[in-house]
Amino acid sequence: MIVELGHYALVLAFALTLVQCFLPLWGALTGDDRLMAVAPPVSVTLFMLIMISFVALTIAYLTSDFSVLNVVQNSHSAKPFIYKFTGVWGNHEGSMLLWVLILVFFGALVGVFGGNLPKDLKAATLAVQAWVTGGFILFLLATSNPFARVANPPLEGADLNPILQDIGLAIHPPLLYVGYVGFSITFSFAVAALILGRTDAAWARWVRPWTLLAWCFLTLGIAMGSYWAYYELGWGGWWFWDPVENASFMPWLAGTALLHSAIVMEKREALKIWTVLLAIFTFSLSLLGTFLVRSGVLTSVHAFATDPARGVFILGLLVFFIGGSLALYAWRAPMLKQGGLFAPISREGGLVLNNLFLTAACAAVFVGTLYPLALDAVTGEKISVGAPFFNLTFGPLMIPLLLAVPFGPILAWKRGDLLAASQRLYVAFGLALVFTLFTFWLWGMEKVLAPLGVGLAVWVMAGAVSEIVTRVKFFEIGPKRGFARLVGLPGSAWGTVVAHFGVGVTVLGIVTASAFQEERIETMRPGDTVEVSGYQVTFDGAAPRRGPNYVEEVGHFTIRQGGVLVTELDPSKRVYTARQMPTTEAGIHTIGFSQIYLSMGESRGDGAIDVRVYFKPLITLIWIGCVIMSLGAVFSMADRRLRIGAPKPASRRKTAQPAAAE
Amino acid sequence: MIFWILLALMTGVAALSVLVPLARAGQPASGSTGGADEAVYKEQLTAIDTELERGLIEPDAAEAARTEIARRLLAAHDKSEQRFRMRTSGLRMKTAQAFALAALPLVALATYFTLGSPDEPDQPLIARLIAPAEGQSVDVLIARVERHLAENPEDGQGWEVIAPVYLSRGQPEASARAYANAIRILGPRPDWLTDMGEALTMANQGLVTANARQAFERAASMEPTAVKPRFFLAIALGQEGNTQAAVQAWESLLEGADETAPWVAAAKQQLAGLQQGENALRGPSQQDIEATQEMSAEDRQEMIRGMVSGLAERLSQEGGSAAEWNRLMQAYVVLGERQKAEETLAAAQAAYAENPADLSLIKDTASALGLSGS
Repeated sequence: MIVELGHYALVLAFALTLVQCFLPLWGALTGDDRLMAVAPPVSVTLFMLIMISFVALTIAYLTSDFSVLNVVQNSHSAKPFIYKFTGVWGNHEGSMLLWVLILVFFGALVGVFGGNLPKDLKAATLAVQAWVTGGFILFLLATSNPFARVANPPLEGADLNPILQDIGLAIHPPLLYVGYVGFSITFSFAVAALILGRTDAAWARWVRPWTLLAWCFLTLGIAMGSYWAYYELGWGGWWFWDPVENASFMPWLAGTALLHSAIVMEKREALKIWTVLLAIFTFSLSLLGTFLVRSGVLTSVHAFATDPARGVFILGLLVFFIGGSLALYAWRAPMLKQGGLFAPISREGGLVLNNLFLTAACAAVFVGTLYPLALDAVTGEKISVGAPFFNLTFGPLMIPLLLAVPFGPILAWKRGDLLAASQRLYVAFGLALVFTLFTFWLWGMEKVLAPLGVGLAVWVMAGAVSEIVTRVKFFEIGPKRGFARLVGLPGSAWGTVVAHFGVGVTVLGIVTASAFQEERIETMRPGDTVEVSGYQVTFDGAAPRRGPNYVEEVGHFTIRQGGVLVTELDPSKRVYTARQMPTTEAGIHTIGFSQIYLSMGESRGDGAIDVRVYFKPLITLIWIGCVIMSLGAVFSMADRRLRIGAPKPASRRKTAQPAAAE
Repeated sequence: MIFWILLALMTGVAALSVLVPLARAGQPASGSTGGADEAVYKEQLTAIDTELERGLIEPDAAEAARTEIARRLLAAHDKSEQRFRMRTSGLRMKTAQAFALAALPLVALATYFTLGSPDEPDQPLIARLIAPAEGQSVDVLIARVERHLAENPEDGQGWEVIAPVYLSRGQPEASARAYANAIRILGPRPDWLTDMGEALTMANQGLVTANARQAFERAASMEPTAVKPRFFLAIALGQEGNTQAAVQAWESLLEGADETAPWVAAAKQQLAGLQQGENALRGPSQQDIEATQEMSAEDRQEMIRGMVSGLAERLSQEGGSAAEWNRLMQAYVVLGERQKAEETLAAAQAAYAENPADLSLIKDTASALGLSGS
């Protein structure tokens, strides 16, 4: 009964999206208050229905209800509880249901917390969101119904893809999806604004918290996915320019550009056309990513089940939403009035530069990801576009962008003074120079680019800090008043500083971990020792071990530094019994921000085993930097100015009301 | 019934979430849409004042920004004045209400009846496993014992119960493992050892492997008069080509045996086969067949398999007559091992490629058995 209730809730939600698609939009276009008023409560009901559906599927997973096809195909009764739970979205159908859940979640958020929005914009936004939701529920029901039943339920399931049996799966997809799908709401805002002809500075202000929220989760999701691949795949790398990674990275780049151009739109009402286009593009890239991953065009861990019918359906959705929104854009954009003017050297100019480089980088990733696919489709020739391509295209685009980052927030709006800005950055420049020279001194001339990279990272970090310190004239007014001013700064100013600082931290991690890592690949026998970056890694032997649904060969390693015990690590190679699939569990020990990484390879017989030993200096900074970046988004969201017009507490409403009615 | 009530309830809530906001008529058309924009611009103006106060912005820049925002504020104000307003129309209301009342449940139920299976109950694994044993499929019962054993692997009785079940269901490996566990936990017992040896033998297509042999030897040493382990040990000797020892073993087994015992005929037949030498056609005699009728199902199957594998081995190594090849094919078909039958056919065809008469004989048999010969 629970399963069928979940199924019905999904179907009912689909019927309800049909209502939501038309009534509020009709109301918004005709100015009918009552039709518009339908949107918020329905958005909440939709969320509840999909939640019922999701909970029902979860219960089927937790109780190993093998009368549900999806559970049979992706679960196993011996699986640990946590993976029964995470297995709900560790497969195609379940993850698409999570997609829909997040779509309606954002709809409900706007419905409940969008009190500051004008009614027509809110109604139209929710209607557009319902179009997207309806499309995806239809996709679920038509091609990948998670509630399909089995007449004669078997007693055991096929188990979850072992690579996905990891705590990373519990965190990575929900975070990534909240980000990925979160950009649907900015898309809905953009389309609604185009329909209503309401693209102005106020629109940018209303959209900002939603963009920030989605961006924050997408940043965390990508970072989490990267860390997960790092310790689960056992290759020692943290980013592979894999098409699936790129699929999530492209919306991030476009979303980052959107975040910045929306500031210009909000402050100066310039770049309106461009910002709306970016909002459409960002979600289109999310849709494209879903299409690439789910259609079977790409084969990877993420291509749970590849089915041409699904691919065609998603392609249809893609064409409908992207094509529709761009057609609307083409019709409306010429009617938009030009906004404020600005000189090339100005805050706006800086943000345009940022957009230029970010979109160019996004285009580079796009080409690198899709060109091999297109070539394969047209000529049948298979080529692989790997790290070298991206290092040559993406890398050079990032360097000028990073060099410019500290200037952006310092330049004045409208007409900036580059010389004055540079003067405020001389401390940052000095610090960068010192660190560059220090790295040169430490490593000599063998790696020329790495010290420059370190300098660049320091430049970004120090630049972010000096922006805020010089902004409040900290050293001129004395620490006491200086601190008071720092605390009094608006959240968005802090957000800028923190996020830019995070960028610097990530860059530092990337530079040091790639340039200064030490790697040894050895065949080791018990008792053998290899030395890496001053650490002696001794292989003590390997032994088999049995887990709940896998068997593994666990190696035992002792790590010493100058004879002093540092730690013991137990990396392993697992074979999941139900699918006979091997996985690698790396052994990782963190020392400060650096890590020792051990991964076991093939067994050579007679106790010898291939071992990869890495020392990765400051590698954790890559992910810490991402966390700091998303923290920046949190600061920015906390900006009280974003809540303008939000429903005020009862005591204050009296005074606020007449003001709004003027 | 509860299911249908809940279905109706959900549908009702969904319809109400559309109908209630629609019905809230007479609500003042408050909060003109312009208000929200104006609030944003007004706030931008105050923000500039605060920034100026704190010295975060230069006075002339502040002045320029103020003018710009004020211009936007005025534009927003004008817009909200001009904004086209229509009163709620009755037709629209009725359409919307009809939509919520009729279309919503219709679409939902129609789709659900197409896709859903309302009569299909939930079947959580635990519930299936603890349901009363009557009427349950053997699979469920086995799964239940397996679950119990996975949680209590030291329950020797459990292993003892499941071991013969596995054997009768054609899972000799699992049966042998279960016996091994029972023996490990509860100590060796001759009948378990014998059955384990038998399971191992079956798992190896009738070949008494070293492990099986060890089990039979232990059983025989614990209970020297037991027939079954000695029977298999004799077969083992024969399979190893130790003809002399095998003949001795069969003779000592038959010595003083009750002539009416079902296994005696089989033993005699084995003995006769050994005495006639290896080239003799080792087919089961009428007595053997009768004996097998009285043997347990496992014994019978074992005996047939033992003979078949012996024949197969000999044919593959030394070759044989067309009749022998035909018999092997037939045996495999009877045992349900079509794959092996096909392999035999291919081997026979290869062996008689130069002999059209025998080849056609083989082909005739094959087509009678329904083998493809591809």
